[in-house]
Formats: sequence, structure tokens, C-alpha cells
Amino acid sequence: MSTFSGLNTARTALWASQRGLDLTGQNIANVNTDGYSRQRLELQSIGGTAVPAIHSVSDGLGGGVSAEEVTRIRDAFLEGRAHTEHANSARLTAQADTYARVEQAFREPGPTGIQSMLADVSNGWQDVANHPDDLAARGQLLRRLQTLTSGLHATRTSLDQQWTQTRDNLAVLVSDVNAAAGDIAKLNASIRRATAAGIPTNELKDKRDALVLSLATQVGATTVPGDDGQLNVLIGGTAVVSGDGAMTIALTGATGPDGALTDSPTIVTVPGRARLRVGGTAEGQLATLTDAVPAYRTELDGIARTLVSSLNAAHGAGWDLDGDRGMPLLDNGDGSTTTVDPATVNAGNIRVRVVRPQDIAAAKVNPATTGGPTLDGGNADAITELSLDPASTEATYRALIVKLGVQSAVATRNLDIQAVITGQVDASRESVSGVSIDEEMTTMLSFQHAYSAAARLVTAVDEMLDTLINRTGLVGR
Amino acid sequence: MRITQRSVALTSLQGLNRNLDNLGRLQQQLTSGKLINKPSDSPTGTNKAMQIRQDQAAVDQQARNISDGQGLLDSTDSTLQSMIDQLARVRNLTVLGANSGALSADSKEAIRTELLGLRDSMLGLANTNVSGRPIFGGVTTGQVAYDESGTYVGVGAGEAPVNRRVGDRTVIRVDITGPEAFGDPATGDVFALVQKIAGDLAGPDPSALTDDLGALDAARNRMLTAAADIGTRAAQLEHAADVNADLKLTLQSQLAEVESIDLPETIMQLEMQKTGYEAALSATAKALQPTLLDFLR
Repeated sequence: MSTFSGLNTARTALWASQRGLDLTGQNIANVNTDGYSRQRLELQSIGGTAVPAIHSVSDGLGGGVSAEEVTRIRDAFLEGRAHTEHANSARLTAQADTYARVEQAFREPGPTGIQSMLADVSNGWQDVANHPDDLAARGQLLRRLQTLTSGLHATRTSLDQQWTQTRDNLAVLVSDVNAAAGDIAKLNASIRRATAAGIPTNELKDKRDALVLSLATQVGATTVPGDDGQLNVLIGGTAVVSGDGAMTIALTGATGPDGALTDSPTIVTVPGRARLRVGGTAEGQLATLTDAVPAYRTELDGIARTLVSSLNAAHGAGWDLDGDRGMPLLDNGDGSTTTVDPATVNAGNIRVRVVRPQDIAAAKVNPATTGGPTLDGGNADAITELSLDPASTEATYRALIVKLGVQSAVATRNLDIQAVITGQVDASRESVSGVSIDEEMTTMLSFQHAYSAAARLVTAVDEMLDTLINRTGLVGR
Repeated sequence: MRITQRSVALTSLQGLNRNLDNLGRLQQQLTSGKLINKPSDSPTGTNKAMQIRQDQAAVDQQARNISDGQGLLDSTDSTLQSMIDQLARVRNLTVLGANSGALSADSKEAIRTELLGLRDSMLGLANTNVSGRPIFGGVTTGQVAYDESGTYVGVGAGEAPVNRRVGDRTVIRVDITGPEAFGDPATGDVFALVQKIAGDLAGPDPSALTDDLGALDAARNRMLTAAADIGTRAAQLEHAADVNADLKLTLQSQLAEVESIDLPETIMQLEMQKTGYEAALSATAKALQPTLLDFLR
């Protein structure tokens, strides 16, 4: 037992307290930093000798405190859950956004939607039926039909734009993911070297965790711990980052909405071109590209086709003002003048073929029986009656809108539920890793007092030695 | 559970966002006046609203059809009445002409001239146009129902009636063709009859006029029947107009029920939501302020 061992004990205490105060400072400084995990100083008393012996010089007292280790407080299980829930949340957000935009494209219910255009056309037929001689009524009907076709064009264009924009966004997301994966690989390398050298890596790990979380949100990445503090990142079971190596991913498949169903866009690994089962935003956007938007696009095309086949058939049953059979009313805009195959028509190319108001076949009576064209409005009235059919274009369109409404409402509700779950997981993570100012203040107080006490100990030992060194041996002086 | 300042802040923010979201939704409902702004607000409501809108458009159109048809029937009716009046004058003149012993040749000639004038006048009435179409000409593309010689040039009865759709499934005929009202041109219509009377008047045999009187009564009866027929259809249209007006109101109230907001209720909800939001704001402001720092010296 050395004379100065008391001083040494006090010195370790002073150093530990100072380190503690420094760490408190770091925690307080990062109280609002995203992804920061609070750190704690692991204090350990330095014990006496572990092997007692008769002739030991140790007095059995400890040698002070050691403050070597700083731990990062983080729950790996909660982090894993956070990755899953954030991925779900991102996927549902993408899905709800998709349906909200499709709803905007259809503009229902209201006076600007296709429904009201169909009603306008139907009323236009009635006006022609009332006054088949009135070219203004016939002209009005043609304008209304053109409004209807441009309404269909506008809706389809808006769906196409949504598709293209989503694909662009997905391409940007993929390059973001590649950048993040590269960063994670670099961080892994730094962490491995630092761990080998025994240097603390807490801040590097925080940075890496933030990147992993963003990957989880974007593509549903999960993690598997590797050697030396490294982290391997998997997307759909395929390792994208393993150790300090990262693989690139790419978006392939159709670049336009026309090929969406035959050549579906997918995300693949770049060496190997293996298809990845992604999650998160990417999964939601892929579903938009391969399912939601193409489905509504097809349904809209179906509406255009029904319109063409039913109107052309009904129009062909009538006779126009010149006494000729009704020509095809609508076609696919390819400029031909022969019969129209409805299969070639879609909502993007549907066009009104009839240009002259006289060519509208309003009459039902065969001119041969009356000896010339008549002002009959029977066929125009019969065309109006088409809308009363339970399988009419109007009814089909209404069913489409109702389906869209249900899907959108379900997507929004799912997102609301998921938001609560994600919020709870985030709160749990925050409750484990977050910095509490109150807690830091109390820690600061205790370290402050510990520092004062250790300083007082130094003074006490100093006074003791002073007495021993300066005031002894002076008898009789 | 360990609570930190940041988690309190995050939870508060979430709550505030939710509050503001509800507030925004109510605000949107109030400013647009509509409960349903997009299909997902209420898919079933959307379906109903779209159906009602379609019905509304049809009902509006049918109201136009009805008033159009009424105009046509009114013109037909008044024209027929004038013609029936003129036919009565023809009958008087015929009876006068049959009284052959008391009439000088000049008088007979005067009656004959008047009869021919009446025939022309009736022919003119039979060619009455409404918005460019002869009302007795059926679906003819021509301007007249009878040409100057009295031949029917319109499209015959039953070929193609002129109809007006007054309900989804109800169609009312709003015209009557010349042959239906004035007799078949092949067997001799009212114009040919008047012409014949004028001829018989000048002829040597007055007994022919007695036969003509019988034919005249038959023609008159036919025109009266036609007028009654027109009157019945006008009454039908009248009834359809009433039904149409009722239906329009019903549809309006149905649409309002589905689509429109209940104003007092929404305003109350908005006020409550506002109070809630303000409370949340002030609570957040109070909860986020104090830390241990405020109490350490």
C-alpha cells in the first residue's frame, strides 16, 4: 500500500466524473438529433488483488474507479420492428397516394366528371329526337359527344402521367437506395477498423442505423448483424450490403404505361438480374405501376369500348337526314372510313367520326317506306333509352367509381391504422434511446457532486501529507 | 415506460396534426357545402349521388320535352278548333245551297265562291307550321302537309309518330297527321269534300248535296274526335308535367340528403374541434416548457 494511493484513487474519481460530465454534454447536445441514441458511461470499481495471500502488500481496498466503456443504449429487437413497421407505413402511404390521385383523375362525383358528360350526351339525343330538323340541336349533340371523348382522353392522360411520374420517382428512389447502400458499406468498413483498434464507434453506428432505417422505409430492408460490429442489409432475403461490399439494384421493365401488364416493371440486382421482393415505398409504387393504374386504365378503355360498340350499333340502326343508314358515330381516330372494330378503341384514341350534323341518324323509319328521308326522331329517342339498361355505359362507369371509392377508402383506413402502430413503435424506441433532459440534469448533478467530493479527497490527502511531511520531526526546534 | 422530452414533443405533434387534420376536413366540408368530395369519402353515397345526378339530368330534359310537346299540342288544338268552326260555316252554306228553289244563280255562285274560299282557308290552316314543321304533316321534311291542289304530301299516319319522352319509360305522341284528322286522301278527305260540294252546288242535281251533308257530318265527327284525342294527350302531358315537377323536388332533396352537409351540425362540430385544437395547443405549450433546468440554481 503506497503512501500516495489515496491520491491516485481521487484522480481516477476526478477523471471518471469529468468523463461523465463530458458524456452528459454530448447527450444534451444531441437531444434533438434524429437517430441519436443516448450513451451511458459504464463505471466500474477497480478492485484489490484477486488472489488473497498472507504476505500480500495489498490492504484489500480498491484502487478507484474505471470509466473506460461508453455504451450506446439501443434495443435491437425494437429496431427490427421499427424497420418492418416503417416499411409497412411507407407501402401503405404510397398505396393511399395512388388511389387519391386516381380519384382526382376521375373527378367524381360532380359536374365535371364523365358521368355528367354522359348525361349531357343523353339529353342531346333527346333534343335531336324532339327537333330532328334543327341542325343546331344536331350540332350541339356532336359538340357534347366531342366533350365526352375529350373527357375520356383527359382522364386517360392523367392516369398515364401518374404512371410515368411514379416510374420516375421509383427510378430516383432506386438510385437513392444504391447511394445509401454504398454509404452503409463504407460505414461498415470504418466500424470494423475502429472496433479492431478499440475505438468507440457509437456515433458511426447511429449514422448507419439512420441509413438502414431509410432503406427500410424505401425498399423494406432488414438487417443481420455481422462480425466486428458490421451490419449486413437484406432486401427481400437477398444481401445487398454484406460487410464492406454493396450490390447495386436497378429498375427494369416497361417505361410506358402501355407495356405495364406485359413487361411489368421490377427491381433487380445488377449483377445477376435477380428479381428482388422489395417492401416499403418501392413495393407500393411497384403495385401502382403493375396493378392499380393499369387496372383503372383498362377499365376506362372498357368504358370507351362499350360506348363505341353500343352507340355505333344503335346509330347504325337509324337513318340520317339524307336518307342513308347511320354511319359509325365513334371510331378509334385512325382515319379509316370503314366499319369500326371496338377492340381497337381505347379511352385515349376514341373520336367522334361524324362531322356533318346531317349525318346523325335520328330517324327510325326506313326512307324506302316513306319515299324519302323523314324528320323522325325515333332512333335518337331509342339511343337515349340505352342509358336505362342495367348494363349501360353509365351503370358500368358508376360501378367503376364505386370500386375506386371502396379501394381508396380501405387504403386510407389501413394507413391510419398503420400510422398508429408505427407511432407506438417509434415511441418505444424513443423511450429506450431518447435523451431525457431531466435525466441528464440529474446525472450532471451527481457527477458534479462526485467531482467536488473527489477534489475534497485530494485536499484531505494533501493536508494529511502536509501534516506528515512538514509538521513532524520538529520536536525541540 | 421511460418518457423523454422528445417523445412528449413527438406525441404532442402527432396529436396536434390529427386535430388539425379533422379541423381541415370539417373546414373543407363547410366551404364546399358537400359531405362527399371524392368517392372514398363514402363509396355508397357516391353511387347514390351519381345515380341521382343522372336522374336529375333526365328529369330536366323531360321537363323540356313536356313543354315542347305542350306547345305543339296547343297549336294543333287551336288549329283544329278553327277548322271545325269553318266546317260549320261550310255546312250552313251547303244547307243554304240545297235550298235550290229560293236561290238565284248569282246567289249560288256567291255561295260557291265562299265555299271555295273556305276550302282554301282550311287548307291553309292544315298547313300550319310550328318551328318550321307542318303540324299535320307527320315526319315530312317538306314545308307543307297539303299542296295547293289539296293532295296530302306529308308522311302518312302510323309510319312514324312524333313522340315526346316525358318519363324514363313513358312516351306520349304529340302529333296527328292530316289523314287521321281530315280523312283518307284516297277515299276523299274534307278538302275534296268541300270542293265536291262547290261542284254539286253548280250541278243540276240538288239531291247530291243531301248526300254531301251526310259526308260533311262524318268529316266533322272525325275532326271532333281528333280534337278530343289531342285534348286527352294534352291532359296526359299536363299530368306528366306535375309528376315531373314532383320528381324534380324529390331528387333534389334526395341529393341534398346524400351529398350536402347538415349546416348546424357541421358548424357545431367545427366549433368543438376548434376548442379541442386550442386546448391541445395550450396543453402542448405548457407541457413542453418546464424541465429540471427551470428549478436548478
